[in-house]
Parts: sequence; C-alpha cells; structure tokens
Amino acid sequence: MRFGWYRFLVIAVAAVAVLAPLVLVFYQSFLDAPFFQPVTHFSLEAYSFILSESDFWDAFVTTLLIGAGMTAIAVPLGAILAFLIVRTDLPGRSWLEPVILVPIFVSAIVLAFGYVVALGPVGIFSIMVKSWIGVVPWNIYSLASIAIVAGLMHVPHVYLYTAAALRGLGTDLEEAARVIGANPWRVAIHVSLPMVMPAILFAAVLVFFLGFELFGIPLVLGDPQGILVLSTYLYKLTNLLGVPSYQLMAVVVVAIVVVTLPLIYLQRRLLRQSQRYVSMRGKGQRAAPLRLGNWRWPAFAFIALWFFVTVVLPIAGITLRSFVVTWGEGVKLTEVLTLDHYRALLNFPNIERGILNTLAIGTIGGAFAVVGYTLVALAIHRWNSGWVRFVDYIVMLPRAMPGIVAGLALLWVFLFFKPISPLRATLVSLWLAYTIVWFAYGMRLISGTLLQVAPELEEAARTVGASEARVMRDVSVPLIRYGMIASWLLIFLIFVREYSTGIYLLGPGTEVIGSLLVSLWGTGDVDLVSALSVINVAMIGIGLAIAVRLGVRLHA
Amino acid sequence: MVRFTTAALAAALAVAFGIPSVTQVQAQVPQGYPADYSKIVDAAKKEGKVVVYSTTDSASANALIQDFRKLYPGVTVEYSDLNSTELYNRFIAEAASGSGTGDVTWSSAMDLQVKLAADGYALTYDSPEIPSLPKWAVFKNQAFGTTYEPITFVYNKRLVPAEDVPQSHADFVKLLNAKPDFYKGKITAYDPERSGVGYLFVNQDVANWPQAWDLFKAFGKESIKLYTSAGAMMERVTSGEHLVAYGIFGSYALSRSHKDPNLGIVMPKDYTLVTSRVASISSKAKNPNAAKLFLDYILSKRGQEIIANKAELYSLRSDVTGEATLKKVEELIGDKARPVPINADLLEALNQTKRLAFLKKWQAAMKGQ
Repeated sequence: MRFGWYRFLVIAVAAVAVLAPLVLVFYQSFLDAPFFQPVTHFSLEAYSFILSESDFWDAFVTTLLIGAGMTAIAVPLGAILAFLIVRTDLPGRSWLEPVILVPIFVSAIVLAFGYVVALGPVGIFSIMVKSWIGVVPWNIYSLASIAIVAGLMHVPHVYLYTAAALRGLGTDLEEAARVIGANPWRVAIHVSLPMVMPAILFAAVLVFFLGFELFGIPLVLGDPQGILVLSTYLYKLTNLLGVPSYQLMAVVVVAIVVVTLPLIYLQRRLLRQSQRYVSMRGKGQRAAPLRLGNWRWPAFAFIALWFFVTVVLPIAGITLRSFVVTWGEGVKLTEVLTLDHYRALLNFPNIERGILNTLAIGTIGGAFAVVGYTLVALAIHRWNSGWVRFVDYIVMLPRAMPGIVAGLALLWVFLFFKPISPLRATLVSLWLAYTIVWFAYGMRLISGTLLQVAPELEEAARTVGASEARVMRDVSVPLIRYGMIASWLLIFLIFVREYSTGIYLLGPGTEVIGSLLVSLWGTGDVDLVSALSVINVAMIGIGLAIAVRLGVRLHA
Repeated sequence: MVRFTTAALAAALAVAFGIPSVTQVQAQVPQGYPADYSKIVDAAKKEGKVVVYSTTDSASANALIQDFRKLYPGVTVEYSDLNSTELYNRFIAEAASGSGTGDVTWSSAMDLQVKLAADGYALTYDSPEIPSLPKWAVFKNQAFGTTYEPITFVYNKRLVPAEDVPQSHADFVKLLNAKPDFYKGKITAYDPERSGVGYLFVNQDVANWPQAWDLFKAFGKESIKLYTSAGAMMERVTSGEHLVAYGIFGSYALSRSHKDPNLGIVMPKDYTLVTSRVASISSKAKNPNAAKLFLDYILSKRGQEIIANKAELYSLRSDVTGEATLKKVEELIGDKARPVPINADLLEALNQTKRLAFLKKWQAAMKGQ
C-alpha cells in the first residue's frame, strides 16, 4: 500500500500549491481591506461594487465574444492543419510541425506590438498597401481583429490535441474510404472528423477558456479604442480607486473561476467520450499517407499563409523596429537604420544576468517542472478514482487567475506562509510560480505520453509480481523518457517567454528577460524593448531548432 | 571597464604610498554635513547594503548607482525596478508580513508615496540636504521630492505643421477647435481611469486652470486615444499614428528626443505642471543607515548632477546646471512652472468618492459633454 501513500502525498502537495493562492484570493474577495492589514471586516461590498459596474459587464461580454470568435477561427484551422500533417503527403510535413507550434512560444505582448509596427494604421505593410490601393483596408484595433489575431495564435493548441487524437486512431477506416474512391476531402469530413470530434471539442473548450486569460493582445491592440476584456479590466481596477483594491480584483477572479468550472466539467465529459476510442489505439502498422494529388501545393500554400500572418508579420515588425530609430508615415526606412539599440543593450545593467536567469529557469527549471508534472501524472495514471476528477480540476484552476493576479497571490503565499518565505528572493519562487501556472499544459504533455504506453506492458509487469511503484519505475517511466525530453523542451520554450506571473517575485539578482521587457515598456524605451524581444525570440528559435535537430517529436 | 581599472589602480597606488585616496576622505563625511554623520556612514557600512524599490528603470538609474558605489564602496545597492502599483502592492504586503522589504521606496506615484508616509510606513529623517531643497518638495521630513519633471506636450515634427504646435494649454483648445478634422483621433494622453499618473495630471490641470474641462471636452470630441504607458504614446506619435501627446514626463520625452530628432517637446507657456519622484525611507527598514546615505546621496549636489545630466530626470536643486534642471526649466518658462506640492492634499486624490465623481465627469467629457 506504499503506492497509495505516494498518490495521496503527491495529490496533497499539488492541491496545496494550487489552492493556497486561490483560497487567499477568495478570502480577500469577502473583506473590505487587504487581508494582511490589522483591521479588516467581512463585507460583500466588493461584490456589489463590481456587479454594478458597467465596465465589468462590458468587459465580460467582450471577453465572451473574443473567446467565441477565437474558438471559431482556431478550431477549424487547427483541425485542418492536423489532418494535413498527420494524414496526408503534404510537402515538408516533417519540419512543418515544430514551425506550426511557434505561436505558443512567442510572448503575446511582443507579437501584438509587432502587429502594430507591421499592420497598424501607419505600419510598414499598411503603408505599402496604402500606396497601391489608396486606403488601409483593415483596422487592427477593432474587436474583430483582436479575435482574429487571438484565434490565429491559438491554432497550435487545437492542432496539438487533434493531431494526437488522429495519431491514436487506426487508419483502416480512412483507407477503406479511399479504396472505394472518396477524395481526400470526403475522407476528412466523413471519416476522420467524426472520429476525432471529441478531441476537437475538447480543444475548443480549452481555447475558449484561454480566451479568458488573454492579456498581451487586448492590452496592446485594445488600448487605442478602449476595448476592455476581463484581464485588462483587472489592470484598470488596480488604479480606479487610486489605491489598489485587492477585494475588487479578487471578485473578478471569482467571477472567472465561476465561469471556468462548468467549462472544466464539459471538458472532462468530452475527454471521457474521446476515450471510448481508446480501443483503436496502438495499431503498430505505418499507414501510407493519403495522396492529396493536385491539392498538395495549395494545401501547403494555405499553411504558409497562416504562418505568414501569424508569425512572420509580427516578428518581422518587431525585428525591423529593433534596427531603426523611428518608423511610420513619411519615414524612409533606409535612412533611419541603426544598431544603436543593440549597443545600448550591451551596456544595460544586469542584462547578462537577465539572459542567464531566463536560460536557467528554462532549462533547469523546466526539467524540474517536468519531473513534478510526471510525479502527478504517474499518481493518477490508470487510476479509477474520484481523486482523478479532483486533480483534473485543480490542474486547470490556476489558469483561471490572470497573470497579474496570480503573481500577486503567489507573493502573498510566499510572504505569509512562513516555511517557504526564505525562498521568496530566489529563483525557486519564480520557478514554483511558473510551474503552477503552466500546470495544465505540462500535465497534458505528460499524461498524453503516458497514455501512449500500451496497458499490456504494465499489466505484464504486474502479472510477474511487480509492485505498482516498480511498474512505474521500470516500465512506464523508461517508456516515456523521450516524451519527457520533448515536454522538457516545450516547457523550456514556455518558461523563456513567460513574464507576467513572476513580476512580484523578482528582485535584484533574479531578473529575467520578461520582467526587463515589462519595466522598459512602462518607461517608454521601445528601442530597447524591441531589441530585447528579438533576442528573446532568437532564444526560442534556437531552442526549437535544437528540438528539430534532435528529432524530438513535439506532439504530446 | 576602463574606469574600474583606473579606480583600482588609484586605490592600489594610494595604499602603496600611504596616501588616503580622495574617495575615502569623501566617504567619511560629505562636505557641509554635520560631523556626527560619520556614525551613520559607519553603521551603514556595517549594514553593507541598501534595498531600493523604484519606478525609475535600472538603465536610467545605473549611473546613479555606480556613482553611489564609488562614494561608499562598503554599501551595495540592491535595486528593483517596478511600476508604481507593483511597488506599492509589494511594499505594503512585505511590510505587513514582517519579512524584508525595500529600505528606500522611490516612486513617481506622488500620491501613493504620501499615503505610505501618512500611514506610518515612512521614517522621519532630518536629512542634511533639506536646506538645499525647495519647500514644496519635503513632506514632514518623511517624503522627499528628488526630481523636477515638467509635464510636456510632445509632437511629431515631420507631420505637425510648425504653426500648429500648441504653445500653451489655451492654444491646444484653439487648435482642436480650428482643425477638428485634421486632428481627429490623432491626439493621445494618459488614461486617468487606468493610470495613476494620468489621474494626477488631469486632476492638477483642473486645480491650476479654470478652463481645463473645456480642453478635456475638446479631447472627447476629437476622439482622443488614451494609453497607460508613455512608451506606447511616444512610439505612436513618432510613427505618425498619432500626432500630439498631451501630458508626457519631460524626462522621458527628452531622452527619446535625443535618439529620435523627430520628436518635438513643448513646455506649455501658460503653466507647466512639474512632478517629482518621491523618496522615503521605510520605517521598517532593515538597513536604515544605508538608506539614509542613499537618500542623502540622491538629494545631494553630486547625485543631482547625475540625475540631471546622465539620467535626464531633471534635477530639483537650483545649484545644478545642465539641460535637465530646474534652472533650465525656469529659463524656458519663467515663473510658469507649477510644481505639485508634496503634501497631504495629494491624499484627496485617493478619496474614493471624490475620485469616482471626478472620473464620472471625465467620462462625460470624453463623450464631448
């Protein structure tokens, strides 16, 4: 029964890590002053204030609209991409996969700012288009644009889930359809799609859910028109009354959690349905890909177009910005080229330490995070128990707190939970914050690989008398080691781009690139911001290149 | 690097020849300070460090920190830059938990700094530099103004016709009434609802200028674009997406204009608000003596010369010369500077009812009403 103890220990640690900040926030929402102040009273005033604020409801509706819009865009695109890459003879599909995932790894605020430089009213491409047709036919500051940009950026999430589901399915049914003469489209729509529908819906719920914590895109693109979403409304709340009123922010988080819970429930139901198809998993034969025929290159062009709009345009924008003094209407770019921003970066205090810390938190921190996620995943692996449901919920909950609140709540935890207080000023606190916030993502990576281990192997070990712990140690873990390395790389990429969560935990000696970016953005040093962003993107690019070179399979 | 080596060489020579080096002499008691200041210096050296929470980004503050290190080699500066809300959040939470927090808070949110002092978080300290500071810049010997930053208009020199450039607040109203189509959607300012400094600026405008609401209504009619960061505004003004920004820290504008000559700066001739970064020593400071050294240093002539000429944050001492100084501002606009006094009046901006009422009026103005 030792393994039982292990299970409960792991679940308890995970639950405490996730729930401690959340419980603090809930508690705060019912008080009339910061909870740590000597005199506080129980009060529902924060609720009545927020619920009677028209801005809150506007932001709420806007968030729902953006969530719905981005889901409507990301889901079909992601599903089509997955089908093309997993099932067809699309040109270049072996190297396309990591490329498709790029948007996950680039900081949203960087991409959004890149869009302003590239496609804003006086953006580089906008001016080009204007010189051809006389007007700029788009407005990137509208609600629709925010939804489209967010949708395009979340295509990889849908791709990941759908591709994993497709790989898990046998190809015999599709082949049968081909044999009787169906074209690739018909096969996709009438055979593949229904089989992976639960996975697609699961991804749809996830994307909608992620819509609630969008921050960078609405902050940069919503600013000029005053478009507020819940996360940017939180930002406004810190200031509305002059002194930050935590109870008001806490109420908004409670509201987001209330919306989130049914979504998680829905996700669980969908996942259960998708597992009905588990019986078809594990067919070993390598099926011949569907021939796209004349559609090969148009399909490739379609992916290239998506990639151009989602990644190339904004990154080109930010890169260009890092090499010029100024830009915009009436500026000849050839006359304003400069390397000064990079030179200035060399003299920037703590820049090396920022870069080193970022790399350390990505590599070492990423490795520990993967170990942590694996421990939790093993604890609930093939376990029929109500506790698994509990874990499913706590895994998703941290995502219900937008970054700025999560950061503050974690600071509180580190301050007022004395045993871990000494860790606050070290990178460990930052690591813990990142690990908690990316719990859902990491768990999905690990449990995805774990599910690929055929149960027969584990059962075989059990039959010859191995204990549960022994099965895990000698069978499951060795079998998923490549999956763990792949997850490590993915987590590395995520940690390298993260910024908002750590803002309150950083101090002298623990700065990371993300935090430097944020503080520079505030004081107006866009020159340095763009140069630093390019370095950040380059780090991510190198990580990806290594991943591809090592042949790491980036899907879970 | 070169400078370090020279300093090391000088120090080595000094030791070798038994000559007390210049920095060492200064390190004991700065000129004009009371003799018992050496006790503070010695205690500070024992503390060994000072933790500074600041809204000034470390790139700008770097020269200041380097020079402080030269002056007091035994005291290291642990410098954290945060935005003003984060600074406040972090400071009060850390102070309440009894674990270490900033020994010095140094923030551009003047109202929040005065609130910290009013709530008992600031140490009362009779700094020897007080006689050299303007009266308005010292609050109960707890909160000290450290800079003299004019609030300016900035504009795009390429795209705004020279005759349009508003030279005063009144000009601004006239311009918007005269060319409403040209400037529609092209004006930008801080959002007082989302930004603390934004609120401070427009609130002070109303206090200083009876026609302020006319200007705000004109902004509303022109569909002004409101932001939360000076960077976003200046970037969009220089690119031509917007043309004129209202209410930008002169310090940020000045450094930006040195890099990009297309950015024009105006200190309005009818009145120019002047704000100051406010520094306090925490009443819970673990390194109170080192904190005193740091505070005195940034207020001293030596520190202010760096504030003026390296950090370009505008010195508030009248005995400092350079482009970013009180003197220079006076040369440009005479007696029209309106420094925001650091006193309990600032707390009124934090009064919930008054603030919400003001913002309601602001929202109406944004609709042109």
